[in-house]
Amino acid sequence: MNKVQHLLSLEWMKFKNNSVFILFGSMFVLTFPLAIFVGKEIKNLPKPLPNNSIFYQFPTNWEWLAYEGSWLVFFFLAFIVMNMITTEVSNKTLRQNIITGLTRQDFFAAKLASVLSLCFAATLFYVIVVLVIGFFHNDPYSLEGAFSDKTWILRYFLMCLGYLSFAFMIGFIVRSPGVSIFVYISYIFFLEPLMKWAVHYKLTEDSTINYWPMNAVEDLTPLPLYKYAENIPRQDLDFSFLLDPHHAMIAVSIYSVLFIGLAYWHFMSRDI
Amino acid sequence: MAVLTIKGLSKNYGKITALENLNLEIEAGKVYGLLGPNGSGKTTTLGIILGILKADTGSYEWFDGKYGPYHRKKIGAILETPNFYPYKNAVDNLKIISHIKGIKQDNYDHVLDLVNLSHRKLSAFRTYSLGMKQRLAIAATMIGEPEVVIFDEPTNGLDPQGISEVRQTLTQIADSGKTVILASHILDEVEKICSDVAIIKNGVMLATGPVGSILSSDVFIELKAENMDELNRMLNDLNWIKDLRVDKGMLQGTMDPAHSISEINRMAFDHDITLTHMVARKQRLEEEFLQITK
Repeated sequence: MNKVQHLLSLEWMKFKNNSVFILFGSMFVLTFPLAIFVGKEIKNLPKPLPNNSIFYQFPTNWEWLAYEGSWLVFFFLAFIVMNMITTEVSNKTLRQNIITGLTRQDFFAAKLASVLSLCFAATLFYVIVVLVIGFFHNDPYSLEGAFSDKTWILRYFLMCLGYLSFAFMIGFIVRSPGVSIFVYISYIFFLEPLMKWAVHYKLTEDSTINYWPMNAVEDLTPLPLYKYAENIPRQDLDFSFLLDPHHAMIAVSIYSVLFIGLAYWHFMSRDI
Repeated sequence: MAVLTIKGLSKNYGKITALENLNLEIEAGKVYGLLGPNGSGKTTTLGIILGILKADTGSYEWFDGKYGPYHRKKIGAILETPNFYPYKNAVDNLKIISHIKGIKQDNYDHVLDLVNLSHRKLSAFRTYSLGMKQRLAIAATMIGEPEVVIFDEPTNGLDPQGISEVRQTLTQIADSGKTVILASHILDEVEKICSDVAIIKNGVMLATGPVGSILSSDVFIELKAENMDELNRMLNDLNWIKDLRVDKGMLQGTMDPAHSISEINRMAFDHDITLTHMVARKQRLEEEFLQITK
């Protein structure tokens, strides 16, 4: 067994019967393919949206499912990530793992490998769900047009990585289960918007406002309505509402490395 | 062979000095007691040598560096409290320990028998009493035949029966020839189990050596006479009697073991002092400890 396998199987042994992991994991797995069917209830979409088949048919189902998935990743998977770091602190099993023989690097690597695996698994699940839903909504059943825009897969993966590496960093730095969830949610919902306002003051003046970390993550898989909003004439805004996807991909990659690096630096330099 | 060499360890928590220039060498096969009052720096010392806490200065080396960064796989240790996954049972928790140590083991009956936990091996850790948790922690230190086992206050918070059970297990482990490090503030525990002792207070090492040598270096004496002042004067003139003090109407002190209590009796007789009470015994660790940490 190589080292990464050894560490991943250790994490699996620890969390396979953890109630938070099971509950949030199964909620994610169930909700993701099912929640999109709420769209079936919406018979008449406001203009310029055509009809509710855009949720299910290729290629637009990639963006709708990505948007839906971003909420679920932000919520369920990020909680799982914070839980698997902070409960090791609160149960003092982090200490015991080190005392038993793991090096600090091993412990960190085990958590990082788990987060990356979670990102890969969530992305794979996204691809499968998109393809299955799309296949059954094509007439006749087929995968025609399914891969007209493959960047969605990478965007979805980076969205997962962006949220989960942020949750990962907060877990390692904050260390308390309840407080880390509070910090995570408050940063994304309140603190970053507040800082944007404080730094930029006039929200419409400068396109760099889109490069704030969680904004960049959100813009990877935005609410697909934004592209219609782009057509609305604007007077005082001379840049896009959304970060260009390529810029967002680069920004989120950089931020993720930064989050992981900060977590590592903090974890290695402190008493545990 | 030294299993552990500690050189000049210091650690501060803000303005509080937890450890100051601690030096210690622990030989293979010894049962070492780390003795000190609460807050003396015992757990800080163990935390540092187990990789949990960062020392401000100083260094330590396990097994002469033989195992590199994975030396802790050769050590079984409990620090402060038993730490396990609360939703997992004893066997699953021990499997995780084995996995970390890189050992293939599926049967844990032997170690669980050792600590008398076999009947509850499939119950979740969170359902255990404190004594059972402590015993599982001791079982966990036995996984993978470690060369060194470390216990930090293993009888803390246990009822008398629990204490006696844990001590019995510790004695068994000590007798098996492993190197044992036992941190405790309970002298009796150290006195009964350990071969060597290091006494530590306010982060400073006060004394170290074989328990026997600390015990037998001086003989404790306790005397009473009708004329106490006369007796006191007489003993004060002797350079092989030290630490004279009056306690509950008795004159107490320590005597160089090269001399005997009958010498005192004879001298008292020669001085026309009639002794009404005369005791000489090996100094007990507790008295030594209180004296050293005074």
